[in-house]
Amino acid sequence: MSHFWKPVRKGAVATVFLGAMSAQAVALETVVIDLVNEPSSLDPHVQWNPDSYAVYRNIFDNLLTRDDDGEIIPQVATAWEYLSDTEIAFTIRTDITFHDGTPLTAEDVAFSVERITDPDFGSPQLGQFNQITAAEVTGDDTVVLTTARPYPALLAQLVKLSIVPAEHVQEVGDDAFNAAPLGSGPYVFDAWQRGVQVTLTRNDDYWGDAGPFERAEFRAVPDAATRVANLQSGASNLIVTIDPDMAMQLDMAAGVSPRSALTERVGFLRLNGAREELEDLRMRQAIAHAIDKELIVEGLLAGFDRPVDQMLSPAHFGWIDGIEGLPYDPDTARALIEEIGEDAQRPMVFATAPVFDQRIVQALQQMLSEVGLNVSIELSDMSSYLSRVQSDPEDAPHMNFGRWSCACQDADGVLHPLLHSSSSWSTLNDPEFDAPLEAARETLDEDERLDAYRAVHERVIAEVPLVPLYQAAILYGVDDRLEWTPTPNESMFLNRMGWSD
Amino acid sequence: MTSFLVRRTGQAALALFGVCTLIFFLTRLTGDPVLLMAPEGATRADIEALRTALGFDRPLIVQYWEYLNGLMRFDFGQSIVQRVPVMDIIVSRLPYTLGLAAAALVVALGLGVPMGVYMAVHRARPLARVLMGVVLAGQSLPTFWSGILLISLFAVTLGWLPSSGAREVTSVIMPAIALGLLSMATFARVARSAVLDELSKPYVRAARAKGLSTGRVVRRHVLRNGSIPVISVSALEIANLLAGAVIVETVFAWPGLGLLTVQAIQARDFPIVEAVVLLSAVVSIGLNLIADILYSVVDPRITLDGAAR
Repeated sequence: MSHFWKPVRKGAVATVFLGAMSAQAVALETVVIDLVNEPSSLDPHVQWNPDSYAVYRNIFDNLLTRDDDGEIIPQVATAWEYLSDTEIAFTIRTDITFHDGTPLTAEDVAFSVERITDPDFGSPQLGQFNQITAAEVTGDDTVVLTTARPYPALLAQLVKLSIVPAEHVQEVGDDAFNAAPLGSGPYVFDAWQRGVQVTLTRNDDYWGDAGPFERAEFRAVPDAATRVANLQSGASNLIVTIDPDMAMQLDMAAGVSPRSALTERVGFLRLNGAREELEDLRMRQAIAHAIDKELIVEGLLAGFDRPVDQMLSPAHFGWIDGIEGLPYDPDTARALIEEIGEDAQRPMVFATAPVFDQRIVQALQQMLSEVGLNVSIELSDMSSYLSRVQSDPEDAPHMNFGRWSCACQDADGVLHPLLHSSSSWSTLNDPEFDAPLEAARETLDEDERLDAYRAVHERVIAEVPLVPLYQAAILYGVDDRLEWTPTPNESMFLNRMGWSD
Repeated sequence: MTSFLVRRTGQAALALFGVCTLIFFLTRLTGDPVLLMAPEGATRADIEALRTALGFDRPLIVQYWEYLNGLMRFDFGQSIVQRVPVMDIIVSRLPYTLGLAAAALVVALGLGVPMGVYMAVHRARPLARVLMGVVLAGQSLPTFWSGILLISLFAVTLGWLPSSGAREVTSVIMPAIALGLLSMATFARVARSAVLDELSKPYVRAARAKGLSTGRVVRRHVLRNGSIPVISVSALEIANLLAGAVIVETVFAWPGLGLLTVQAIQARDFPIVEAVVLLSAVVSIGLNLIADILYSVVDPRITLDGAAR
């Protein structure tokens, strides 16, 4: 039996560390991007979370897209024209082919619309497209979309509509298409090593700007510290979702740097006036006066984010310059609370979930405590949190912190769900909110819409159903050789990147 | 023996039925996957439409019946988030977890046992005390921290090993060390006390009196006798390694079942959670059954049918 122990004696410790120890040099033909999780799905009509979107958006072309300045520009559609308030005709490019060589036609566009709006298909994105009641091919290269009513956010929503090959999808079925997606975009799906990475290769026949990298690897790296280590060790060129401390760490490291963009995501504190503790307007005003947004942004978020006074970001249609909210003024807050008297001391619940930055939640609670309010934090998992927040206003928590993005850069996707009486996300039942929100939704006239949203912003300041806090930044870590500009809609287009010389 | 097997298999089947019933209803108590899937601003109608499309609007008992029906045909259903058969996902992830656990076991045994033996044989030497400290440190380091330390040293600073993922064979080294360090301490302590125990026995004195050197006594006699507790602890530690893999897999982006489970639980992807729990139940019930049978093989004094011999 003694021979069993011999290798041990001879130093198993050393053998463990030996083996191939080559440095991880990344060839410039390949760009490696670290996402948090692997894509949930690469069928663009099935899932639509950042990790999936970042990958499949390079495999597919969308009907429309946004340039780096956020303007809606043509992609599959070259032009569009309103035939009436509810009908819009899109002219489709004729020089696009899918990766299997078949041309992309108007039929594919109509099929894509019908597929994502089919309730039986069960796309989580259904709500973004279900205003579309019909998609009709009216000419060789024309598709007419009909909406149930005038729908001003339609173009903003269509930026998210990927065009899939109708014949191929029907032939292979949804499951096979999901496993091996076939699109028309600048990159071709190559392989999906489950749990590890998705590999794409360049589409050399792409009709638009070709991608600069021969290959792209999107890897799943759930731990942020590991993503930072990957970037620093040269194992990856671009990493997503880091916190401000890590950004500062990367700032000091050689060859890598943090890059940030202000997104269309807005942090806010919702106040539930349907609960008797917050029925009194002075309570809600006191809360707004008690919150120091500057301190949150500078102290906790390292100044990457930006305080806002309206429940939108400048990246949205509906943002109005010059609107000023209730200022940070703890003395006024205390005076209001004193005026209310004992009723102001009633305990209130502040609901939150682990996905939100708990430092911000705690800072908000402390700011409210400092002016004399009695607020306790209740942490629950995301699913329970969402269900509490969307329950009947009388049962919903007194307040909750949220970070909202409609991924449409239009006020309709933010203000309507948060403030309209018909929405499960709103605790309000106030015609003075409903009227301008409906007006803005039912006209295509931009000036009329802006006027309506101005009225909404002003009423938010007057009634304080929520306190807008800040426009959230997204932080990336980037290899200094990589040229790339992050955008407000958190897109990651490989063919808008490049290596610097 | 036969009646024992029949009885135990029946018990195992009953236990598995209990597990899948429990997990089916428990997962549904933990929250609503549809709410997590619907985008911000989705209306009640949108959410209901999604619920209907996914089949969560049907009575629970109908869903349960369908689930059991699927199980009979080894059909674990489809992941509601990924829309891929659960079986495919598990089959692609299982080898990674098994590989990591095996590599970690090698690290734990390869480091822990020699250290334990050294600490017992040379317990008076200063090095033995130092090793004791190392063992203690190995056990005390949380893996999410030791993992990052390993990455900083071997991937970022030295550039010797890939920092994460599972792209080449060397990728397993760091996760195996991070995971193995925990069990290493257990093995070192068990090996130490087992060897100490053996060293005090009369046969050692007899061997020494015969003129054998300490080294030879240890190699030829003590190690063999002292290995029995180490082997029994190994079985327990394998279970620990599989459980510990959850954190290590997250830190090193190792695509095993642990990482999959965490993500599935967060997304309330019920079919995956159910399948993983069922798989662990099958493994542990199966191992118990094998262990019971092995007892009688190893020790003829133990009978399986309960009849005295």
